[in-house]
Amino acid sequence: MPKNKQIDITTKIMSQISSGKIRPLSRWYFVLGSLLSIFGLVGLTIFAIFIINLLFFVSRSHGPMFSFRLTQIISSFPWWLLILAILAIFAGIFLLKKYDFSYQKNFRLIVFLFILAIILSAWLMDYFGLNESLLRQKRMRRFYQYLNTSQTYPQRLYKNRF
Amino acid sequence: MTDFAKLSDQDIVKLVTTKDKQLYSHLISRYQDKLLRYVNYLTGHDFSAQDIVQETFIKAYINLNSFNLKKKFSSWIYRIAHNQTMDSFKKHKQEIPLLEDMDLDSGQDLEDDAIKLELKKHTKNCLSLMPLNYREPLSLYYLEDRSYQEISDILRLPIGTIGTRINRAKILMKKICQKINK
Repeated sequence: MPKNKQIDITTKIMSQISSGKIRPLSRWYFVLGSLLSIFGLVGLTIFAIFIINLLFFVSRSHGPMFSFRLTQIISSFPWWLLILAILAIFAGIFLLKKYDFSYQKNFRLIVFLFILAIILSAWLMDYFGLNESLLRQKRMRRFYQYLNTSQTYPQRLYKNRF
Repeated sequence: MTDFAKLSDQDIVKLVTTKDKQLYSHLISRYQDKLLRYVNYLTGHDFSAQDIVQETFIKAYINLNSFNLKKKFSSWIYRIAHNQTMDSFKKHKQEIPLLEDMDLDSGQDLEDDAIKLELKKHTKNCLSLMPLNYREPLSLYYLEDRSYQEISDILRLPIGTIGTRINRAKILMKKICQKINK
Protein backbone atom coordinates (compact mmCIF):
# COMPACT_ATOMS: atom_id res chain seq x y z
CA MET A 1 0.00 0.00 0.00
CA PRO A 2 1.49 3.37 -0.96
CA LYS A 3 2.56 5.53 1.96
CA ASN A 4 0.48 8.54 0.85
CA LYS A 5 -2.75 6.50 1.08
CA GLN A 6 -1.92 5.51 4.65
CA ILE A 7 -1.30 9.12 5.62
CA ASP A 8 -4.49 10.09 3.88
CA ILE A 9 -6.62 7.77 6.04
CA THR A 10 -4.97 8.89 9.28
CA THR A 11 -5.23 12.56 8.38
CA LYS A 12 -8.85 12.29 7.30
CA ILE A 13 -9.95 10.49 10.44
CA MET A 14 -7.88 12.53 12.88
CA SER A 15 -9.11 15.80 11.39
CA GLN A 16 -12.70 14.62 11.90
CA ILE A 17 -11.89 13.65 15.48
CA SER A 18 -10.11 16.95 16.22
CA SER A 19 -12.93 19.03 14.76
CA GLY A 20 -15.45 17.10 16.87
CA LYS A 21 -17.26 15.85 13.77
CA ILE A 22 -17.08 12.34 15.13
CA ARG A 23 -17.27 11.60 18.84
CA PRO A 24 -17.33 8.40 20.81
CA LEU A 25 -20.78 7.50 22.11
CA SER A 26 -20.97 7.95 25.84
CA ARG A 27 -20.36 4.97 28.08
CA TRP A 28 -23.84 5.64 29.46
CA TYR A 29 -25.33 4.89 26.05
CA PHE A 30 -23.98 1.35 26.21
CA VAL A 31 -24.79 0.95 29.91
CA LEU A 32 -28.35 2.07 29.22
CA GLY A 33 -28.58 -0.22 26.20
CA SER A 34 -27.43 -3.19 28.29
CA LEU A 35 -29.75 -2.31 31.17
CA LEU A 36 -32.75 -1.94 28.87
CA SER A 37 -31.98 -5.24 27.20
CA ILE A 38 -31.57 -6.96 30.57
CA PHE A 39 -34.77 -5.44 32.02
CA GLY A 40 -36.68 -6.22 28.85
CA LEU A 41 -35.45 -9.79 28.84
CA VAL A 42 -36.09 -10.30 32.55
CA GLY A 43 -39.58 -8.78 32.27
CA LEU A 44 -40.37 -10.87 29.25
CA THR A 45 -39.05 -13.98 31.00
CA ILE A 46 -41.19 -13.42 34.10
CA PHE A 47 -44.22 -12.75 31.95
CA ALA A 48 -43.66 -15.83 29.81
CA ILE A 49 -43.08 -18.02 32.88
CA PHE A 50 -46.27 -16.76 34.47
CA ILE A 51 -48.38 -17.29 31.35
CA ILE A 52 -47.07 -20.82 30.81
CA ASN A 53 -47.47 -21.56 34.52
CA LEU A 54 -51.13 -20.49 34.23
CA LEU A 55 -51.52 -22.79 31.28
CA PHE A 56 -50.22 -25.68 33.40
CA PHE A 57 -52.53 -24.66 36.24
CA VAL A 58 -55.65 -24.41 34.10
CA SER A 59 -55.00 -27.65 32.28
CA ARG A 60 -54.31 -29.39 35.64
CA SER A 61 -57.51 -28.18 37.30
CA HIS A 62 -59.72 -29.95 34.83
CA GLY A 63 -62.88 -31.94 35.31
CA PRO A 64 -64.38 -34.76 33.30
CA MET A 65 -64.50 -32.57 30.18
CA PHE A 66 -60.78 -31.98 29.97
CA SER A 67 -60.52 -32.05 26.21
CA PHE A 68 -63.38 -29.55 25.87
CA ARG A 69 -61.75 -27.20 28.39
CA LEU A 70 -58.41 -27.54 26.71
CA THR A 71 -60.01 -26.47 23.46
CA GLN A 72 -61.49 -23.51 25.28
CA ILE A 73 -58.09 -22.60 26.72
CA ILE A 74 -56.51 -22.78 23.30
CA SER A 75 -59.29 -20.76 21.70
CA SER A 76 -59.20 -18.09 24.42
CA PHE A 77 -55.41 -18.04 24.78
CA PRO A 78 -53.99 -14.60 24.01
CA TRP A 79 -51.89 -15.69 21.05
CA TRP A 80 -51.03 -12.09 20.24
CA LEU A 81 -49.08 -12.01 23.48
CA LEU A 82 -47.06 -14.99 22.40
CA ILE A 83 -46.35 -13.37 19.02
CA LEU A 84 -45.40 -10.16 20.80
CA ALA A 85 -43.05 -12.05 23.10
CA ILE A 86 -41.36 -13.82 20.20
CA LEU A 87 -41.03 -10.53 18.32
CA ALA A 88 -39.56 -8.92 21.44
CA ILE A 89 -36.97 -11.68 21.73
CA PHE A 90 -35.95 -11.20 18.11
CA ALA A 91 -35.83 -7.42 18.59
CA GLY A 92 -33.62 -7.87 21.65
CA ILE A 93 -31.26 -10.16 19.76
CA PHE A 94 -31.16 -7.71 16.86
CA LEU A 95 -30.27 -4.84 19.22
CA LEU A 96 -27.62 -6.89 20.98
CA LYS A 97 -26.10 -7.89 17.66
CA LYS A 98 -26.24 -4.34 16.36
CA TYR A 99 -24.28 -2.63 19.06
CA ASP A 100 -22.37 -5.51 20.56
CA PHE A 101 -20.91 -6.49 17.21
CA SER A 102 -17.58 -7.71 18.38
CA TYR A 103 -17.98 -10.75 20.53
CA GLN A 104 -19.06 -14.15 19.50
CA LYS A 105 -22.35 -15.42 20.84
CA ASN A 106 -24.22 -18.54 19.99
CA PHE A 107 -27.64 -16.97 19.65
CA ARG A 108 -29.37 -20.19 18.63
CA LEU A 109 -28.18 -21.86 21.83
CA ILE A 110 -29.16 -18.80 23.91
CA VAL A 111 -32.71 -18.80 22.46
CA PHE A 112 -33.04 -22.57 22.95
CA LEU A 113 -31.85 -22.42 26.58
CA PHE A 114 -34.03 -19.38 27.22
CA ILE A 115 -37.20 -21.12 26.02
CA LEU A 116 -36.25 -24.31 27.93
CA ALA A 117 -35.65 -22.31 31.12
CA ILE A 118 -39.03 -20.58 30.78
CA ILE A 119 -40.97 -23.84 30.36
CA LEU A 120 -39.05 -25.54 33.19
CA SER A 121 -39.55 -22.60 35.55
CA ALA A 122 -43.26 -22.44 34.74
CA TRP A 123 -43.66 -26.14 35.40
CA LEU A 124 -41.73 -25.91 38.68
CA MET A 125 -43.88 -22.98 39.80
CA ASP A 126 -47.01 -24.97 39.12
CA TYR A 127 -45.57 -28.15 40.66
CA PHE A 128 -44.65 -26.46 43.93
CA GLY A 129 -48.13 -24.93 44.25
CA LEU A 130 -47.46 -21.28 43.55
CA ASN A 131 -50.86 -20.93 41.89
CA GLU A 132 -52.63 -22.28 44.97
CA SER A 133 -50.78 -19.88 47.24
CA LEU A 134 -51.55 -17.00 44.88
CA LEU A 135 -55.18 -18.08 44.82
CA ARG A 136 -55.28 -17.64 48.58
CA GLN A 137 -53.93 -14.08 48.36
CA LYS A 138 -56.49 -11.32 48.25
CA ARG A 139 -54.94 -9.42 45.38
CA MET A 140 -54.67 -12.39 43.03
CA ARG A 141 -57.88 -14.20 44.05
CA ARG A 142 -60.10 -12.24 41.70
CA PHE A 143 -57.78 -12.90 38.79
CA TYR A 144 -57.78 -16.64 39.41
CA GLN A 145 -61.55 -16.63 39.91
CA TYR A 146 -61.95 -14.81 36.62
CA LEU A 147 -59.69 -17.34 35.00
CA ASN A 148 -61.78 -20.22 36.31
CA THR A 149 -65.06 -18.52 35.41
CA SER A 150 -63.96 -17.80 31.89
CA GLN A 151 -62.95 -21.41 31.58
CA THR A 152 -66.25 -22.79 32.83
CA TYR A 153 -68.50 -20.29 31.12
CA PRO A 154 -68.95 -22.28 27.89
CA GLN A 155 -69.68 -25.40 29.93
CA ARG A 156 -72.47 -23.66 31.81
CA LEU A 157 -73.91 -22.51 28.54
CA TYR A 158 -73.69 -26.01 27.24
CA LYS A 159 -75.50 -27.39 30.34
CA ASN A 160 -78.33 -24.84 30.10
CA ARG A 161 -79.17 -25.92 26.63
CA PHE A 162 -80.33 -29.32 27.85
CA MET B 1 7.39 10.80 28.29
CA THR B 2 5.34 7.71 27.47
CA ASP B 3 6.56 5.45 24.73
CA PHE B 4 3.25 4.63 23.06
CA ALA B 5 4.79 1.97 20.87
CA LYS B 6 5.27 -0.17 23.96
CA LEU B 7 1.69 0.19 25.12
CA SER B 8 -0.85 -2.50 24.35
CA ASP B 9 -3.90 -1.77 22.17
CA GLN B 10 -6.12 -1.96 25.22
CA ASP B 11 -3.98 0.59 27.09
CA ILE B 12 -4.21 2.99 24.17
CA VAL B 13 -7.99 2.54 23.97
CA LYS B 14 -8.20 3.36 27.66
CA LEU B 15 -6.10 6.50 27.18
CA VAL B 16 -8.14 7.59 24.13
CA THR B 17 -11.42 7.28 26.01
CA THR B 18 -10.19 8.88 29.21
CA LYS B 19 -7.37 11.30 28.41
CA ASP B 20 -6.27 12.09 24.88
CA LYS B 21 -8.33 11.38 21.77
CA GLN B 22 -5.34 12.20 19.56
CA LEU B 23 -3.79 8.90 20.60
CA TYR B 24 -6.29 7.17 18.36
CA SER B 25 -3.84 7.84 15.52
CA HIS B 26 -1.56 5.18 17.07
CA LEU B 27 -4.28 2.60 16.71
CA ILE B 28 -4.90 3.67 13.13
CA SER B 29 -1.26 3.35 12.22
CA ARG B 30 -1.06 -0.05 13.92
CA TYR B 31 -3.98 -1.50 12.01
CA GLN B 32 -4.49 0.39 8.77
CA ASP B 33 -2.04 -1.70 6.73
CA LYS B 34 -3.40 -4.96 8.03
CA LEU B 35 -7.01 -3.94 7.51
CA LEU B 36 -6.37 -2.49 4.06
CA ARG B 37 -4.70 -5.73 3.02
CA TYR B 38 -7.47 -7.86 4.53
CA VAL B 39 -10.32 -5.85 3.00
CA ASN B 40 -8.47 -5.72 -0.28
CA TYR B 41 -8.37 -9.54 -0.36
CA LEU B 42 -12.11 -9.58 0.16
CA THR B 43 -13.16 -6.87 -2.25
CA GLY B 44 -10.39 -6.99 -4.80
CA HIS B 45 -10.44 -3.21 -5.19
CA ASP B 46 -7.89 -0.84 -3.66
CA PHE B 47 -10.24 2.10 -3.78
CA SER B 48 -13.24 0.52 -2.06
CA ALA B 49 -10.91 -1.11 0.47
CA GLN B 50 -9.66 2.30 1.48
CA ASP B 51 -13.21 3.59 1.97
CA ILE B 52 -14.19 0.54 3.97
CA VAL B 53 -11.15 0.80 6.24
CA GLN B 54 -11.80 4.48 6.80
CA GLU B 55 -15.40 3.71 7.77
CA THR B 56 -14.14 0.91 10.01
CA PHE B 57 -11.91 3.28 11.99
CA ILE B 58 -14.70 5.84 12.27
CA LYS B 59 -17.20 3.25 13.48
CA ALA B 60 -14.64 1.85 15.92
CA TYR B 61 -13.98 5.32 17.31
CA ILE B 62 -17.70 6.07 17.76
CA ASN B 63 -18.21 2.76 19.56
CA LEU B 64 -14.93 2.78 21.47
CA ASN B 65 -16.70 2.88 24.84
CA SER B 66 -18.41 -0.40 24.08
CA PHE B 67 -15.07 -2.17 23.62
CA ASN B 68 -14.40 -4.67 26.37
CA LEU B 69 -10.87 -3.96 27.57
CA LYS B 70 -10.44 -7.59 28.61
CA LYS B 71 -10.82 -8.74 24.99
CA LYS B 72 -8.48 -8.43 22.02
CA PHE B 73 -8.69 -5.16 20.15
CA SER B 74 -7.48 -6.81 16.95
CA SER B 75 -10.45 -9.22 16.86
CA TRP B 76 -12.80 -6.33 17.55
CA ILE B 77 -11.49 -4.10 14.76
CA TYR B 78 -11.31 -7.00 12.28
CA ARG B 79 -14.92 -7.81 13.12
CA ILE B 80 -15.95 -4.24 12.34
CA ALA B 81 -14.00 -4.36 9.08
CA HIS B 82 -15.73 -7.62 8.21
CA ASN B 83 -19.16 -6.07 8.90
CA GLN B 84 -18.30 -2.98 6.88
CA THR B 85 -17.19 -5.12 3.96
CA MET B 86 -20.39 -7.16 4.06
CA ASP B 87 -22.42 -3.93 4.19
CA SER B 88 -20.51 -2.65 1.20
CA PHE B 89 -21.26 -5.85 -0.72
CA LYS B 90 -24.95 -5.43 0.06
CA LYS B 91 -24.90 -1.73 -0.78
CA HIS B 92 -23.34 -2.24 -4.16
CA LYS B 93 -25.26 -5.44 -4.69
CA GLN B 94 -22.02 -7.19 -5.37
CA GLU B 95 -22.48 -10.88 -5.74
CA ILE B 96 -20.97 -12.85 -2.91
CA PRO B 97 -19.80 -16.07 -4.47
CA LEU B 98 -20.72 -19.12 -2.48
CA LEU B 99 -19.39 -22.54 -3.12
CA GLU B 100 -22.07 -25.13 -3.70
CA ASP B 101 -21.16 -27.56 -6.42
CA MET B 102 -17.39 -27.59 -6.54
CA ASP B 103 -15.71 -30.91 -6.09
CA LEU B 104 -13.36 -30.61 -3.15
CA ASP B 105 -12.92 -34.22 -2.33
CA SER B 106 -9.43 -34.54 -3.72
CA GLY B 107 -8.11 -36.10 -0.54
CA GLN B 108 -4.98 -34.00 -0.80
CA ASP B 109 -3.68 -31.91 2.01
CA LEU B 110 -1.10 -29.26 1.49
CA GLU B 111 1.64 -28.21 3.81
CA ASP B 112 0.98 -24.92 5.56
CA ASP B 113 4.24 -23.37 4.34
CA ALA B 114 3.49 -24.32 0.76
CA ILE B 115 0.05 -22.72 0.99
CA LYS B 116 1.51 -19.61 2.52
CA LEU B 117 4.12 -19.35 -0.22
CA GLU B 118 1.59 -19.97 -2.96
CA LEU B 119 -0.82 -17.46 -1.46
CA LYS B 120 1.78 -14.75 -1.19
CA LYS B 121 3.00 -15.40 -4.72
CA HIS B 122 -0.37 -15.31 -6.39
CA THR B 123 -2.38 -13.67 -3.66
CA LYS B 124 -4.71 -11.53 -5.66
CA ASN B 125 -5.32 -13.86 -8.59
CA CYS B 126 -5.99 -16.95 -6.54
CA LEU B 127 -7.99 -15.31 -3.79
CA SER B 128 -10.22 -13.33 -6.11
CA LEU B 129 -11.36 -16.59 -7.71
CA MET B 130 -12.18 -18.16 -4.40
CA PRO B 131 -15.66 -17.97 -2.84
CA LEU B 132 -15.90 -15.44 -0.02
CA ASN B 133 -16.69 -17.98 2.68
CA TYR B 134 -13.32 -19.63 2.01
CA ARG B 135 -11.41 -16.51 1.05
CA GLU B 136 -12.01 -14.86 4.40
CA PRO B 137 -10.77 -17.53 6.84
CA LEU B 138 -7.90 -18.41 4.52
CA SER B 139 -6.61 -14.86 4.28
CA LEU B 140 -7.04 -14.31 8.02
CA TYR B 141 -5.15 -17.48 8.88
CA TYR B 142 -2.32 -17.44 6.40
CA LEU B 143 -1.89 -13.80 5.50
CA GLU B 144 -2.95 -12.04 8.68
CA ASP B 145 -1.60 -14.71 11.03
CA ARG B 146 -4.77 -14.83 13.12
CA SER B 147 -5.43 -17.84 15.32
CA TYR B 148 -8.46 -20.10 14.91
CA GLN B 149 -9.97 -18.53 18.04
CA GLU B 150 -9.51 -15.03 16.67
CA ILE B 151 -10.98 -15.99 13.29
CA SER B 152 -13.88 -17.57 15.13
CA ASP B 153 -14.41 -14.29 17.02
CA ILE B 154 -14.12 -12.18 13.88
CA LEU B 155 -16.42 -14.28 11.69
CA ARG B 156 -18.67 -15.43 14.53
CA LEU B 157 -18.41 -19.02 13.51
CA PRO B 158 -17.56 -22.06 15.63
CA ILE B 159 -13.88 -23.04 15.65
CA GLY B 160 -14.77 -26.39 14.05
CA THR B 161 -16.34 -24.62 11.09
CA ILE B 162 -13.27 -22.41 10.72
CA GLY B 163 -11.06 -25.50 10.64
CA THR B 164 -13.24 -27.18 8.03
CA ARG B 165 -13.36 -24.08 5.86
CA ILE B 166 -9.61 -23.57 6.00
CA ASN B 167 -9.00 -27.20 5.07
CA ARG B 168 -11.41 -27.04 2.16
CA ALA B 169 -9.99 -23.68 1.13
CA LYS B 170 -6.49 -25.19 0.99
CA ILE B 171 -7.64 -27.83 -1.48
CA LEU B 172 -9.50 -25.26 -3.51
CA MET B 173 -6.51 -22.94 -3.39
CA LYS B 174 -4.29 -25.58 -4.89
CA LYS B 175 -6.74 -26.22 -7.70
CA ILE B 176 -7.17 -22.56 -8.51
CA CYS B 177 -3.46 -21.77 -8.39
CA GLN B 178 -2.64 -24.76 -10.57
CA LYS B 179 -5.24 -23.60 -13.09
CA ILE B 180 -3.76 -20.10 -13.16
CA ASN B 181 -0.21 -21.37 -13.56
CA LYS B 182 -1.13 -23.55 -16.55
